[in-house]
Amino acid sequence: MDKDCSMYTEHVESGKRKVTLSMTVNGRPVVRDVDPNMTLLHFLRDNLKLFGTKEACGEGECGACTIIMNGKAVTSCIILAVEAEGAQITTVEGLAKDGKLSILQEEFISQDALQCGFCTPGFLMSTRALLDSNPNPTDEEIMEALSGNLCRCTGYIPIMNAVKRTAERERKELGS
Amino acid sequence: MDEKRYQSKHKRVGQAYDRKDAREKVTGQAIYTYDLELPGMLHARCLLSPYARAKIVSIDTSKAKALPGVRAVLCGEDSDILVGLYMQDKRVLAKGETRYQGDVVAAVAADDEETAERAIALLDVVYEPLQPVHDVDEALEAKILVHEDINDLKHYVGVFFPQKDSNIASWNKSKKGDLEKAFEESDLQVVNEFSLPAVAHVPMETHVAIVQADPFSNKIRIWASAQSPFAIRQIMADSFGISESDVEVHIPYVGGGFGGKAGIHLEPLATLLSKAAGGAPVKVRATREQEFNQLPTRAGMRGRIKTGVNLDGKINAVQAVYDWDSGAYADYGVNVGKTAVYSGLGPYAVDNACIDSKTIYTNKVFSTAYRGFGHLETHWSIERQIDILSQRLGIDPYEFRMMNLLEPGKHTISGELVTKSTGSVKECLTAVVKEIGWTGRKTEEERQREWKTGKVRGKGFAVLQKAPAMPANTASSAIIQMNGDGRVRMMIGGVDIGQGANTAMAQIAAQELDLPIEYINVMTEIDTRANPYDWNTVASKLTFMGGNAVIKACRELLDKMKAIAAQALKTEPEYLAHANGEVYHVHNPERRISYAKIALGYMYPNGTSIGGPLMATGTYIADGLTNLDPETGQGSPALVWTFGAHAVDIEIDVETGNIDVLKVVSAFDVGQVINEKLIYGQICGGVVQGLGSAILEGYKFNEDVRLMNPSFTDNKIPTMKDMPKEIVAIYIENPQMNGPYGARGVAEHPMISVPSAVGNAVYDALGINFHVLPLSPEAIVLGIQSGKKSILCTDVDCLPGLH
Amino acid sequence: MISRFTYFKPHNLNEAVQYLEKEEKSFVLAGGTDIMILLRRNLINAEHIVDIKALPETAAFEFVEGAGLTIGASVVVNRVVDSEVVKAKYPALHQAAASLASFQLRNRATVVGNICNASPGADLPPALLVYDAVVNISGPQGNRQVPLHQFFTGVKRTVLQRGELVVSLQLPDPGEGDKSIYLRQARLRGHDLATVGVASRIKPDGKVAIGICAVAPTPKRLFALEDQINERGLSQETVEWAADEIHQHIHPISDVRSSALYRLQMASVLLKRGLLNLIGKED
Repeated sequence: MDKDCSMYTEHVESGKRKVTLSMTVNGRPVVRDVDPNMTLLHFLRDNLKLFGTKEACGEGECGACTIIMNGKAVTSCIILAVEAEGAQITTVEGLAKDGKLSILQEEFISQDALQCGFCTPGFLMSTRALLDSNPNPTDEEIMEALSGNLCRCTGYIPIMNAVKRTAERERKELGS
Repeated sequence: MDEKRYQSKHKRVGQAYDRKDAREKVTGQAIYTYDLELPGMLHARCLLSPYARAKIVSIDTSKAKALPGVRAVLCGEDSDILVGLYMQDKRVLAKGETRYQGDVVAAVAADDEETAERAIALLDVVYEPLQPVHDVDEALEAKILVHEDINDLKHYVGVFFPQKDSNIASWNKSKKGDLEKAFEESDLQVVNEFSLPAVAHVPMETHVAIVQADPFSNKIRIWASAQSPFAIRQIMADSFGISESDVEVHIPYVGGGFGGKAGIHLEPLATLLSKAAGGAPVKVRATREQEFNQLPTRAGMRGRIKTGVNLDGKINAVQAVYDWDSGAYADYGVNVGKTAVYSGLGPYAVDNACIDSKTIYTNKVFSTAYRGFGHLETHWSIERQIDILSQRLGIDPYEFRMMNLLEPGKHTISGELVTKSTGSVKECLTAVVKEIGWTGRKTEEERQREWKTGKVRGKGFAVLQKAPAMPANTASSAIIQMNGDGRVRMMIGGVDIGQGANTAMAQIAAQELDLPIEYINVMTEIDTRANPYDWNTVASKLTFMGGNAVIKACRELLDKMKAIAAQALKTEPEYLAHANGEVYHVHNPERRISYAKIALGYMYPNGTSIGGPLMATGTYIADGLTNLDPETGQGSPALVWTFGAHAVDIEIDVETGNIDVLKVVSAFDVGQVINEKLIYGQICGGVVQGLGSAILEGYKFNEDVRLMNPSFTDNKIPTMKDMPKEIVAIYIENPQMNGPYGARGVAEHPMISVPSAVGNAVYDALGINFHVLPLSPEAIVLGIQSGKKSILCTDVDCLPGLH
Repeated sequence: MISRFTYFKPHNLNEAVQYLEKEEKSFVLAGGTDIMILLRRNLINAEHIVDIKALPETAAFEFVEGAGLTIGASVVVNRVVDSEVVKAKYPALHQAAASLASFQLRNRATVVGNICNASPGADLPPALLVYDAVVNISGPQGNRQVPLHQFFTGVKRTVLQRGELVVSLQLPDPGEGDKSIYLRQARLRGHDLATVGVASRIKPDGKVAIGICAVAPTPKRLFALEDQINERGLSQETVEWAADEIHQHIHPISDVRSSALYRLQMASVLLKRGLLNLIGKED
């Protein structure tokens, strides 16, 4: 439960000075004015209407809000939108290209690496970031990269299978 | 699981198709209630009580109401609506008194979330803290009543039995045979006590509901992340005094339920806020902390088991007393308590049995349905007791179980006859014991030798059973309509919460109609205005009941198709068969017609048309159930038993207490695999969730009964690093003769008895019997350090709720 | 979050310091993994957020022979995990960094942020402490250096005064033949705060250094215990003795995470395992 908020019995009138923000999201340049206190997660969802990235805890503990920012997997719920100035952002909506699912998405489907699907975008992005920097990860490296993503439905084994199959197929088919 | 190991004898049932909604989920297209935005929608926030039990002296809402952007502020004074699935003991907002730390004291609807948050901070509440009821023992003393009006609570009479002037929401009993005599005649009487704490469901999508309450009529429109749209409709109608037809419930994609979304939760509050805000849609969403602290849990429970057994291993009598720490409100928890009286002794043939199950009020966050519906809890007691008995008797635990397990010809404790069609728990146990490589108990020498290395291995196993716990008139239904292209769209009343219901139902339809599964479109969003009724999506009943309903609908559709095709082909319906989307004559298959040609009626060459748009319905009501006798618990409550067993192989670091789960083998008599991928997913998910209960999870309350771990910081669930190295699934297929293709449900079962198997393996490894969950590294180390051979409920310090 | 703040990202250290001194309700933002939680839970009321990630002095991350390792305030934990030189020269720091939180959080959380947050159970301080880290602080009164073991003053409290900010950490070059290890116990294998964390180090001269977290209001160096071990000389017997003796030097509490008794046990186990590992005798 939140701590006693009596310090806010005064309406805080410090006024929000909006900041003009520009970044690239899924390959598209984006320019918006935002309130400094808006998180990157809310920016993606509420401003850019990219609903694939989810909030499941809001404190960086569950990984559901994972996106790729400048090549790194990060939890967008604890990043201010303004911190992403000039950044390259990829969300789950950026995985499929030209109406074709990526190998990663195909393998998540084929290995049944999802059930309710709420944690899935986060897992996909963590996996994408992992394979982009390490195309041939060991089991330990996979677990290290993905243990910040919580799932209550799958028990993780099908996800592990999907990641390994993706890595294998990408090495073969994309020559990565 | 790269290769398909399971081979189905059917063309479509049993095939490992991809989940039907997988693509929406991997592309971010799937819209959950959490994502929904409606025009004019307001956002709500709640103020939770900081005290477990307190008088609400005053609430000053003036500053909150004055904040620009605030459209409604509510507190207990504003509504006397009572809610409760089985007992109407809960107000939508606490009035006069709070009953748990987390109880909703006030709520605000505003233009945006931030304004709502600010408004909450501007509420001025004065409390007078009162002495709370900490645990079941204190509750049973009844010096303080959690519900002072317990004598007057409206409830299902004859099903639940609140006790006068007490904290017992319901006292349910069952009795079979002659217990006293059987105990007297037993060579050995063994009494033990076991306990486990409350745990959270942790769906990744927290509870969320959007309600639009029409200001000009009784109409209420609801969008919710929920498992039971028709139950929401019925309870809303009941609580608000309106017709069910005035309530409309929509269920988009659901981000996990696990029983926590089985009942009704945020919908009444959202309704009141919407009414107060002039009918604007109001979204009430739980933050993750509120999900832990405000929304209900699985109940903590203490089980006392007395078993009368002979030296040759025959169990004569079992007496069980289950005390459920069900928290502040009865909700679904009271039904969990009731269910224990017919299912709470495990899958054993016991001629003399007595179960007392008390659902008890305390001032904790209340309990609700949770995967397993009390069976994980009762099996923790039962399967540990069984293991301890086998230790005492010096009989191998596998042999001991095999001597006493249910088999055809024996009766359950509610008096139901077990037949071949019920399934075989013995086959499940034998399969897992074999696969885990059980060669008998460890000797003390082996143990000591291993101990010196710092790591000790252990193997353990446990059996399980569960049938759906539901009213005798539970029903499922399906509606099928054919499109002009010969493809089919189907509506069911069950919700796909990730278990794959839509895919499984589609497979059954595809099998019946002999169409590719891609041609069966199951409507993913439930709308109670259009979809046909289904009681609740709980209880692992949808495969069985929904499947039967789907089969009936398909067969009705085929009958209608054949009637028209017979005219078109100038023959009789009895000479027609169907395959690959066509109806054809059995003797001369060249006389045939595609589904598409009759889907919207059949037109003769000259234009005359017969038939009409093809559609069919199927309903299945639970077959042959009865209510339970209130005193003896005898009757026919169980539609379909699914039996199973788990075996685990673990390694314990004796200095840190860390448990490495090396291998889990799980077997279930599913009757008929509908889709191996889906079942394997349920098994992996259930096993890991079970390991969470076994090793990791548990609510912790302080002496003020305040929840100490209301976030992921200290309320942990297993991560990928915590999964077992290997999970082997074994599917036993003794068909259930009245099930769809012989199938039974298996959704909850993978979680049940996982902690029991681990507890038994811990005994094998350490020679110590633990009676309390979780078997955390700390519990293991302190248990070893104590030097005791049994770590009892009384030995465990500062564990949640049951000290 | 209720806080409405002005976001300021200075490129000049003096600017940053002056701003922090002038504006009362201003907070430093580096990785954000701690402060965002405080903001979200409305535990702080921020009117100014000062993002220090553009300050050139905070970007430093280099090892210079003889001088040692500089870790700037903007350096994220995963950079430390991936660094070959940290792995080779300060293995306990590599291990502590690798054990912190989760992969995604390590891509944002900073080493300096971990010490400024000053949680009693912070994972990096034990390793930084055994390596005699020094904190470089810039403030309105100028620059100062504070040895890390004097930096923490209480639960979530440090010596930092208003207007001051930590610019970097400096770890001396340990020299040849140095060995260290960080071991921690948690409630599960996945990400968790440490129930107990122990960094053990054997310096080139054979003397030990021991750093520990989650057993006191602040992370600590166990100087007195180190002296006793050094006097006795390091051996398997001394290690076993030290594992017992450590109970005299720490006073953990029971909290929602663990009982005091279990923390005492784990402190012994982790110290013993750490030192035995370093002297080449696996348990």
